[in-house]
Amino acid sequence: MRRTLPIAVVAGVGLFMLVQYFIPLEEFETLYEWALDWTMVIGCFAMLLGLYSLTTMMVTKVKRKAPGWGYSLVALAGLFFMVFVGVVPHYQDSLKYGTLFMDIFEYIYIPIQAAMFSLLAFYIASAAYRAFRARTVLATILLVSAIIIMLRLVPLGPLSGINQWLVNFILTVPNMAAKRAFWLGVGLGATATALKIMLGIERGYMGRD
Amino acid sequence: MKDKYIFRTGVLLIFLFMFTSLFLGMDTCLAQEMGEAEILEDSLAQPPAPPTNVVAKDAPNDNGHALLVTWTLSADDGVGRNNVVSYQILRSDSPEGEFEVRGLVPAGENIFSDEGAKEKEDANYFPPHKDFYYKVRARSDGIFSDSEVSAPAQAYGQWYHTGKTPVLFAVIIFSTFALVFITVARKGKELYIRPLAGIEAVDEAIGRATEMGKPILYILGLGSADMIATIASFTILSRVSKKTAEYQTPILIPCCDPIVMAVAQETVRAAYLEAGRPDDYKQENIYYLTSMQFAYVAGVNGIMIREKPATNFYLGKFYAESLLLAETGSLAGSIQISGTDEIAQIPFFVAATDYTLIGEELYAASAYLGREPVLLGTLKGQDWAKALVMIFLILGALAATFHFQWFLNLLKVQL
Amino acid sequence: MSTNLGVWIAAFLTLGIMSFLYKDNPIYKFCEAVFVGVSAGYWFVTEYFTVFLPKVWDNVETAINVLQAEGRMDWFHWSYLLGGILGVLMLLRLVPKIGWISRWPLAVIVGTTSGLWLINYLVSNAMVQVRQTIIPLYVAGNLNASIGNIIIVVGTFCGLIYFFFSKEHKGVFGGAAKVGIWFIMITFGASFGYTVMSRMSLLIARMDFLVGTWLGLLK
Repeated sequence: MRRTLPIAVVAGVGLFMLVQYFIPLEEFETLYEWALDWTMVIGCFAMLLGLYSLTTMMVTKVKRKAPGWGYSLVALAGLFFMVFVGVVPHYQDSLKYGTLFMDIFEYIYIPIQAAMFSLLAFYIASAAYRAFRARTVLATILLVSAIIIMLRLVPLGPLSGINQWLVNFILTVPNMAAKRAFWLGVGLGATATALKIMLGIERGYMGRD
Repeated sequence: MKDKYIFRTGVLLIFLFMFTSLFLGMDTCLAQEMGEAEILEDSLAQPPAPPTNVVAKDAPNDNGHALLVTWTLSADDGVGRNNVVSYQILRSDSPEGEFEVRGLVPAGENIFSDEGAKEKEDANYFPPHKDFYYKVRARSDGIFSDSEVSAPAQAYGQWYHTGKTPVLFAVIIFSTFALVFITVARKGKELYIRPLAGIEAVDEAIGRATEMGKPILYILGLGSADMIATIASFTILSRVSKKTAEYQTPILIPCCDPIVMAVAQETVRAAYLEAGRPDDYKQENIYYLTSMQFAYVAGVNGIMIREKPATNFYLGKFYAESLLLAETGSLAGSIQISGTDEIAQIPFFVAATDYTLIGEELYAASAYLGREPVLLGTLKGQDWAKALVMIFLILGALAATFHFQWFLNLLKVQL
Repeated sequence: MSTNLGVWIAAFLTLGIMSFLYKDNPIYKFCEAVFVGVSAGYWFVTEYFTVFLPKVWDNVETAINVLQAEGRMDWFHWSYLLGGILGVLMLLRLVPKIGWISRWPLAVIVGTTSGLWLINYLVSNAMVQVRQTIIPLYVAGNLNASIGNIIIVVGTFCGLIYFFFSKEHKGVFGGAAKVGIWFIMITFGASFGYTVMSRMSLLIARMDFLVGTWLGLLK
């Protein structure tokens, strides 16, 4: 029962969301909006679960003096300081620029995020080197296609025209064909997965008693 | 010196030519304008003929807060005096009452959808089940003429959106295929599915981790629990964690979303129960890290470098961080199996990981790993739907070649 | 050189993260810990102000005000209290004995998702894509368009054959599947090539910050 009833709720709510797509009535629209909003609200409360999990993990590391426990202290300090300066002093104004909360976001979070993102420039080069070393037919096709696209912004003299034509051809013809096949496959696969969930065929996510 | 004089003379001549043609042109234009002005003055004096046959009716396939107004174009719209500039649509709640402007359409158009908000507090609230009267005004630069007032019309919602019928048929056909093959599978018929390299490597990958005495790292992606790719990843996690329970290999699952963490904990706990090893389940191995994309990646990279897992699984929704994860895992020496439905990230997984499940293969993976009849049956139903799509595609393309639009019209969906 | 403390902190953290390229080190670990902690805190505060306050607190407050002022039940605004209750039920996971109650809000989320996405994926990924691929194989007077259309239809067909799970890739079927994966690899290569430039520009932006904004060497 502890598992069966929630699975029945999944089927019921899922069926409602499916049926409401075909019914334009205002009442069904309202119920649809409620369902989406409730999902967001549940996610918001679940944040507390997440914070509890993160805090517990880090406090345990500090207590046991596990390797790197000092860094866990730093993370905890960052977490609680952000929550404190965000919620306590500026009721509903914390998200405006000029507050300490947004200053921390601007001078700490944003630069680290940008730095992480910029690491991709190095990783993309190493990934390309490793992939194209494979010397299979498929890796060669990937390599040739990538090079043609990469050269589209490079002045190649008399070859620029040919390259531009190739770029245009690749993007509008084979690229479009493969993407359509991919999206079609994903569409059918996702539909099947959603159907399995609604019919209760997939129920591992509900756990067991 | 001579060159300088020739140059200056040339410039002077060019200027003279320009001014002369300007004045000549002005005279010509002026003459033209004066001629046109006489004609225009003539038309301006008379308003355009009023539109006729104004009909208001409920807008179809909506939530009951709109009316559709149609009319016959003015006799001076594009013909006759040809002085219609636009049409104003006016509405009142009584035929003799004050009419307010509801919209404007250019000349040549004879249809207008009068829509409003459904919230009573909204300034543009459109009440359903209330009589409204319309008239249409043909306008021409300051003068106009009004049509007769229309018969009353009420807006009401529909119970069924007829424009979405193709979708209904698609859902019925797809569900039928799935249910038929589930029934066939339940009767014990052997259903063949071709081997997938990425799936066959799962056992080997878990075995490798067991031999090395290192943990397995399972990344569910950056999607929330309401994304289908994440749910597909849960179904694979269930099978993978059952195997790790049997082999007693630790599995680490840092999560990007608290609800994903909750579901992952339930999934893994159930798998350990099913494998008969409930005591080996460690909830502290499945934890929340952060919900921000690159902060999560930074945390996971740290885990990969310090814990050195033997096997990494990246299955779910990934974005720009996919390459950061895959490359770091590769540098740490892990065997990596990836899968996502984000087409933009698959090239990086293909380049940086050992095995990649491309798009639909991620959704099929649970059937491959579990080999349960109902899952195989659904996969078969999926394939039959795909076969139908392929046949439709070929026939449709052939029909379109001969300008036969039936297939296209069959798939037309009004949103 | 910049005299802004924030810029100096940002530069230190940037260099700390980039030191990961050499190897894992205490400075990177410190930056990573700060990043994880600050981001989790930021997300919590954002959720509080953008979800909890407007969707739960304000709606329930409005419902209470309407009840007090007009003596009637404003069911639309009261419904958000139900969302809040479901959220609280989610938190019962922390109590082992009654943790099973958290399956109910989970069921609402998963049910909402599955019904919604079943339709969305079927329409936008399946039906719309099929409709857009139904193109004439011959366009009068335009050989380029005709060849292009034929390749698109053949490519899509072969790509779908590649994703067919019920038949082994052998013989003619295997040949078509091979053509399909070639098309897919061309797409992946195009995606790869397109992304390289944008990733390089991210690195250039960081270099610009360090050399220009922080050190002031670029004018």
